[in-house]
Amino acid sequence: MDINILLVDDEADFVETMVKRFGIRKMPIDSAKSGQEALTSLAAKDYDVIILDVRMPGMDGLETLKLIRARAPLTEVIMLTGHASLEAGMQGMNMGAYDYVLKPADFDDLLDKVRKAFERKQLNAKARKQGA
Amino acid sequence: MPRPANRAPEPASDPHGDPKGILARATGARLWKDHSLLLWAHFLVPPVLAALVVAATFATPILAGILAAIVLGIAAVSARGLLSRLSQTEEARLALNTQLIQSQKLAAIGELSAGIAHEINNPIAIIAQEAEWAAHLIGEAEKGCSADFAEVKDSLREVRAQVDRCKNITHKLLDFARKREPVLQDVDVVRIIEDMARLVDKEASYKNVTLVRSLPQDLPKLRTDAPLLRQVVLNLMTNALHAVDTGGRIEVSALADDEALEICIKDNGCGIAPENIDKIFNPFFTTKPPGQGTGLGLSMCHTLVDGMKGKISVASKPGQGAAFTVRLPRRV
Repeated sequence: MDINILLVDDEADFVETMVKRFGIRKMPIDSAKSGQEALTSLAAKDYDVIILDVRMPGMDGLETLKLIRARAPLTEVIMLTGHASLEAGMQGMNMGAYDYVLKPADFDDLLDKVRKAFERKQLNAKARKQGA
Repeated sequence: MPRPANRAPEPASDPHGDPKGILARATGARLWKDHSLLLWAHFLVPPVLAALVVAATFATPILAGILAAIVLGIAAVSARGLLSRLSQTEEARLALNTQLIQSQKLAAIGELSAGIAHEINNPIAIIAQEAEWAAHLIGEAEKGCSADFAEVKDSLREVRAQVDRCKNITHKLLDFARKREPVLQDVDVVRIIEDMARLVDKEASYKNVTLVRSLPQDLPKLRTDAPLLRQVVLNLMTNALHAVDTGGRIEVSALADDEALEICIKDNGCGIAPENIDKIFNPFFTTKPPGQGTGLGLSMCHTLVDGMKGKISVASKPGQGAAFTVRLPRRV
């Protein structure tokens, strides 16, 4: 099954490489350069997994995470960070992020986490359907 | 009083099964109901034997003497067994009661604080708005006259900062009072611990703290809620990091038995004073100076572990560090 993935990061080079690498695995992904752009994309499409950079100019990752969780509670978010900030990590996890990946991210590791996040989203959606 | 809609009332009893079952499991003994045959025997055999003694007295006194000794022996052994079992049950009942009171108390405090947080959120939002409006008005007034409003503006900024601090606390409270149904996945616990440890590593190295992992590579997978477990592990490791001094040591270990998987996070920091052990999981309980900790971290861990149907416990001797153990059932 196809996974709808959105990558949010302000580093153009990183985004380009990631889009290519996912593409090679036959997993097309969308990208956004900022938190604001991510929210616009989220309004237009139902994403399964969002990979979100913590440190971005303008609206930062945690602020974006909060808004994503409020608008699309079923969408799972994997936080991505270049610097291991414990405080940001704690806040991210406590705000409902699915997982945390340190840059430079091992691609297979990231892929595995995306799959796990997607599995959770599906389980969650199924549980909601049964509960409703 | 309006309440957050997504908060279900806490059940009065332990959520993990009926108290009788727990009691039986705690003592390792079966319930009296299962022992009814034994009990009947226990009460009936001595009188029957006694009757035999009486009957034997009429035949030979020696036989009667032997029989009487046997009867006394059996009665004594059986009475001792009954006594020890009774005291065992009583002890377990007391332990269970304490545990129940503790978890009810936590639930009550949690509910109360979430209620307060909810009520206080609105006035806080209004204070923030008014402060912003006042700052705007002063900005306008400043244009028309030469007076210096710097001090007023400064004080308004401080109002804003403190309001943000309050908001932070109320949001945290509301967030962890929210009951999330756990979503179960096969989880590689070692990897989760390793991932979270990497996040702590850098901060630990600033403090010259060693974070030791003793993780068996053959640990079985666990069906549990992955993000909840990550949160618990990360919170406990951060807690340990705050507890140790420069040059300290934190050890994270995990092991599994047939029923459960245990994660232990041990530090060699200041430890917990005996009078604080009971309060350590209470919301708002903190030994940090005011403003440096909300006292919600461990209480949140307790709530999360509860949600995973597990148990969290702490062992500590003052001055010798503390060890937090999270025990999660392998079959939920």
